[in-house]
Amino acid sequence: MSNYFNTLPLREKLNQLGVCDFMDSSEFLDGVNALKGKKLVIVGCGAQGLNQGLNLRDSGLNVAYTLRKEAIEGKRDSWKNATENNFTVGTYEELIPTADVVINLTPDKQHTAVVNAVMPLMKQGATLLYSHGFNIVEEGMQIRKDITVIMVAPKCPGSEVRAEYVRGFGVPTLIAVHPENDPEGKGLAQAKAYCVGTGGHRAGVLKSSFVAEVKSDLMGEQTILCGLLQTGSILSFDKMVEKGIDAGYASKLVQYGVEVITEALKHGGVSGMMDRLSNVAKVKAFEISEELKDIMRPLFQKHQDDIMSGEFSRTMMEDWAAGDKNLLAWRAATGETAFEKTPAGDVKIGEQEYFDNYTLMVAFVRAGVELAFETMVQAGIKPESAYYESLHETPLIANTIARKKLFEMNRVISDTAEYGCYLFDYACKPLLADFMTKVDTDLVGKNFNEGKDGSVDNRTLIAINEVLRSHEVEVVGARLRKAMTAMKSIKTA
Amino acid sequence: MSKPVVHITNLNLKYRNKPVLQDLNWTINANENWLVCGTSGSGKTSLAKAIARIGHSYSNIETSFNPQSSLPALAYYVANWFQFKDLEGQSNFYYQQRYNKQSTETTATVKAELESFGKKHALQFNEVDGILAALGFSELKNSTLIQLSSGEHKKLQLVKALWLKPQLLILDLPYNGLDVLSRKNLNLLLEEISEAGSQLILISNETELPSCINRIATIEEGKLVEISADERSWNDIETFDKQVPTFLSEAVINASSEEIIKMINVNISYGEKQVLKDINWEVKAGEKWVLHGHNGSGKSTLLSLICGDHPQAYANDFHLFGNKRGSGESIWEIKERIGLISPELHWYFDPSATVWQSIVSGFYDSSGLFCDPGYSKKAQTDELIHYFGLDEYKNTLMNELPLGKQRLALLARTIVKNPELLILDEPCQGLDQQQTLHFNKLVDELCKNGTTLIYVGHFESQIPGCIEKRILLENGEVNSVEILHKKPILT
Ligand SMILES: NC(=O)c1ccc[n+]([C@@H]2O[C@H](COP(=O)([O-])OP(=O)(O)OC[C@H]3O[C@@H](n4cnc5c(N)ncnc54)[C@H](OP(=O)(O)O)[C@@H]3O)[C@@H](O)[C@H]2O)c1
Repeated sequence: MSNYFNTLPLREKLNQLGVCDFMDSSEFLDGVNALKGKKLVIVGCGAQGLNQGLNLRDSGLNVAYTLRKEAIEGKRDSWKNATENNFTVGTYEELIPTADVVINLTPDKQHTAVVNAVMPLMKQGATLLYSHGFNIVEEGMQIRKDITVIMVAPKCPGSEVRAEYVRGFGVPTLIAVHPENDPEGKGLAQAKAYCVGTGGHRAGVLKSSFVAEVKSDLMGEQTILCGLLQTGSILSFDKMVEKGIDAGYASKLVQYGVEVITEALKHGGVSGMMDRLSNVAKVKAFEISEELKDIMRPLFQKHQDDIMSGEFSRTMMEDWAAGDKNLLAWRAATGETAFEKTPAGDVKIGEQEYFDNYTLMVAFVRAGVELAFETMVQAGIKPESAYYESLHETPLIANTIARKKLFEMNRVISDTAEYGCYLFDYACKPLLADFMTKVDTDLVGKNFNEGKDGSVDNRTLIAINEVLRSHEVEVVGARLRKAMTAMKSIKTA
Repeated sequence: MSKPVVHITNLNLKYRNKPVLQDLNWTINANENWLVCGTSGSGKTSLAKAIARIGHSYSNIETSFNPQSSLPALAYYVANWFQFKDLEGQSNFYYQQRYNKQSTETTATVKAELESFGKKHALQFNEVDGILAALGFSELKNSTLIQLSSGEHKKLQLVKALWLKPQLLILDLPYNGLDVLSRKNLNLLLEEISEAGSQLILISNETELPSCINRIATIEEGKLVEISADERSWNDIETFDKQVPTFLSEAVINASSEEIIKMINVNISYGEKQVLKDINWEVKAGEKWVLHGHNGSGKSTLLSLICGDHPQAYANDFHLFGNKRGSGESIWEIKERIGLISPELHWYFDPSATVWQSIVSGFYDSSGLFCDPGYSKKAQTDELIHYFGLDEYKNTLMNELPLGKQRLALLARTIVKNPELLILDEPCQGLDQQQTLHFNKLVDELCKNGTTLIYVGHFESQIPGCIEKRILLENGEVNSVEILHKKPILT
């Protein structure tokens, strides 16, 4: 097997990277009909598996689970999840041969093994569905030619997929059909129906391709979503402690700050987030985020280049083969950072205080979101896809930091994201060393406005607002957020 | 004479920028136990929280406790609403979550919750068992918080307070969701702790109170006004005593099938624990039922099956609107035909939606509004808002309103689409007696046109006149099914 993307001629590479169509709700009027009465068999009953299955069944579809033998015999959690919710559970041999659609919701690292085990059992003309395209694109998995291969990827953790569905809504979702495997031309109709079954059609659906999904997903998670949040959090905490701010306060400000700050991002984009600052603080945040963008641009570009060339997945798969040596070492090191080890202090921090006392993070987020977006778009990814994988997901990840800091964030995200996050973090910290020597507590730890008279030059402010609001991520974002009708506060109390 | 326990001078208090208490004065002396009653939104809860110093402490409220007493020297407030978080500190729950086995282990158990409470206040663990038993709570010790029903949440709050026995205990709507027996026992327990030296402030509109209550007051125009027991009346200005909108009163319901619900030996269990046993029940189109049973008898689980909210529905022989569950229907097709209100629905409802959005969302069975409803739905919603006297709150967020007003909005949401089946599970919780009467009259009116009704209410006096059949659950089993003698419908 070789990297699928690298086998394509340039024209086709660009072609597939550029598949991007924000679908109108009228495209889903046929509901779940394309899958009605068909037998859906989900492989794996973890976070995505269970919750997608519950939704599909509540949408009137026929769902069963197949698990590896050990899981059934050992009555593992995945077996309990499925049986206690009254689903039929069986071995591959029992369920796959009669399945019309086989849904692979096992961890990405296992995909090659799982697909090799189930494919020979699949009936002629069946469909194989993924929620992430890594296996197809980076590992170049070859699927039997009679089988249709589609992707339906909810852009949220599994628990949210369920919670939003029962509230009568859904989570934003990407769908795609693998161009090498659509022998009967039914792929898109089935992907749409599946998307309706999970509720995704109510929250904004982007028609994408396996290639675009993987290349943008990897880029987003390594740089802005996980990597930069990790780097920014650790640097901010260390700076505060160095400057004599109470460690408990610093820990709390960093742990919850990203969530509060990115909540503003979720509702109003980068400019909405920047608008939460006072005028003087906004000018300052703008200036340092420009500087941060210049410093980090080469690193963002390197990540994008390595993702495009397959270098990233090659080295990561080497680490898989080496028993996750690097991953585990990095994970352990993250658990040992001072930020991780200092519990949040028992101090009250008001919502606005998170902005006023943590201007540095606002600058980090703006720089990271815009850079990730710009770099993806330069690489041929369409703005809508780039938006989903940068700005849109940042608040979701920030929430995991609020729950239990970085270690928890890295536990919740996929191994692939975790691996990329550490790569970025290790390269980024030295890059920012000089920059950080100039940072003082007015940017992180204390109220930026304190002791300043608060006046700004009108023309400067107008120019800054103009730059912020006319950035493409804002223009695209405003349109998409509007289409996602009522963007609910997802996962925040 | 000893110092008053609470002494308030000229207290002014705003709630979301609107003044609620204006130059309020109040003195609570030793041996006094107060009832504060009156309309929703008059400032009762704000006052109670201020005395307990929740969120803010006011210099014009002086509290002094008895240094000789062995009881904790504090004013302890039991909120009208039980708030809890999961083990990760989040409270982003949805109301179907308690029926999903693996989603319930993310919150603490009752036992762990009580242990941490006991530790915090240095309480004796042997004292709590008696209280648990008296409120019928002992069996729930190993349940997790999310598995509890709203009545059970209320009991857990009360258990803590009764165990703590603070010198001043402030209870905000303590009877909500409790069954008749539990209310009686609560009153006995309150009399007991009052005997032992706790003083009470009770916020409630109930009439059966602990005998130790010896002062009664209401809040009028921001001031506390003492009244006598027979002066308790409800001059509520905003109750909905208007003409029922014609889109509801004149629409005829076409039942989708002769048989709305048919359950054949339905069983639901979580591991070892069986919550419903061999339930057989048939509800025919147009029938009006009341569903009775103690807290914990299985009522809410039974209703969750009917509303498409319980995953174990798929493993049972159970027909809804003429179709067997699990034969290809979606839960949205089921919910479309049902108007539901329940304490749980209220608890988990999206608090960041406006009153208007909340009501319109009834057309889509969602918690909060996610799409543009179009002209006629908007117009119908406006009519109902007017009918319920909510005009001035139309664009107010739900979480900015007192519970009683939130409840009115959710009742409007329940009926807005004029559904074929109405499921009203303690619909009038948080409403005063006058409002309850009006709402039940409205239900009678709606049900004239063929609506099927299932009503849950703990008090005979509080159920609508149109009810004709009763099913009684006990320990998860059908204890009896009977036809009631028709009461004349009040006009
Ligand atoms: N998590 C997210 O936020 C998210 C979002 C979008 C898409 N996705 C995608 O969804 C897919 C599933 O991710 P997830 O987070 O749901 O995974 P997960 O929670 O780790 O669940 C994995 C499931 O697969 C089973 N499994 C593990 N190894 C297996 C093997 N070798 N053979 C057969 N079954 C195996 C596990 O059960 P046993 O170990 O008991 O067998 C478990 O039920 C991935 O492709 C991921 O990229 C995830």
